[in-house]
Amino acid sequence: MDCGTCESATPLEVHRPAEVDVALTLTEKATSMLEDAFGDDRSHALLVGVLSGGCSGYMYDLQIVESTETPCQELNINGFRVLVPSASSHLLNGIEIDYVDRLMGGGFKINNPNASSSCGCGESFA
Amino acid sequence: MGLVRHKAAVLLLQGQGLFPFLDGLSTNHVDGPCTTVFTTRAAKIIDVCDIIPVGDHVAVVGHAMNKEALTAHLSERILGQPITITDISELNDVFIDVGDSPTPPDATIHPSFFGRMFVVPVKHEWQPTWTDDEWNEYRIDNLIPYHGHEITAAQHPLGCGLGALVHPQKGCYIGQEVLTRMRSRGKQGRELVVKTNPVDKATTKGRERSLCIVRTQ
Repeated sequence: MDCGTCESATPLEVHRPAEVDVALTLTEKATSMLEDAFGDDRSHALLVGVLSGGCSGYMYDLQIVESTETPCQELNINGFRVLVPSASSHLLNGIEIDYVDRLMGGGFKINNPNASSSCGCGESFA
Repeated sequence: MGLVRHKAAVLLLQGQGLFPFLDGLSTNHVDGPCTTVFTTRAAKIIDVCDIIPVGDHVAVVGHAMNKEALTAHLSERILGQPITITDISELNDVFIDVGDSPTPPDATIHPSFFGRMFVVPVKHEWQPTWTDDEWNEYRIDNLIPYHGHEITAAQHPLGCGLGALVHPQKGCYIGQEVLTRMRSRGKQGRELVVKTNPVDKATTKGRERSLCIVRTQ
């Protein structure tokens, strides 16, 4: 295979949607659960990201991080630092983060007005 | 037996996490060399691709007719990941060997679903030994679907003879819910069969027999 010149070849233009200023909300239940998780230490942040994959094409990714090298928008929501990767901002603007208290399928849930559909488990969307 | 030209698009992916990226978007389990199918949410085929590790990079060899659709499908899902896609189709010829053809110089050899795949630098001007008609006769004898015949955007993998490329146990990927439901209920709707001529709506017409996709009972 000839890829010896690939480093000098022009990479294909990757579809990069414009970055938007993200607004998001936390429900009371989600805020309460985050207070339990964070305690009094607010040095960490909630990273709300999107990964490719899942039944519908995109998957939510929630992490508690101290910092990240990924370019992010930093928000302050209900006293919490929330980081949203700039590359995913178009997919996450307007979301509501909720917490569902169920034995099966419980946990943080994201209600996303940008999603045209979601898969059965609710973890991925299109 | 012979060597047929595969009218391919060769995309070189560079970056980190390439196998997990491709695994999350296609039907087969991608953690090394394999053939896999990229599908829409409705499980319709975008392209059938061979995944070929090349050093730290990964070559994705699909069909030329699907290059734009595949590139758009992949690039929209890169998001912030450190992955670039380079089109190296013009630098390479791709062949499928279904026998023991001599190995072309500088060829990358890959065990594809379609046969033994050679990716050869164009400078060698390597030539096929089979015509498309000979390839089609071979495919009819061996029930092998191919691009533009059975493999089209109107089909899902289970209905056109690509069931072997749909991993039964891997996790979520685009189109997985539809394909899993078809399998678990035993209702895939259509299947690829070979019939003796004359065949109505043949997808590949042979001298005596043809391939066609029929509704299952």
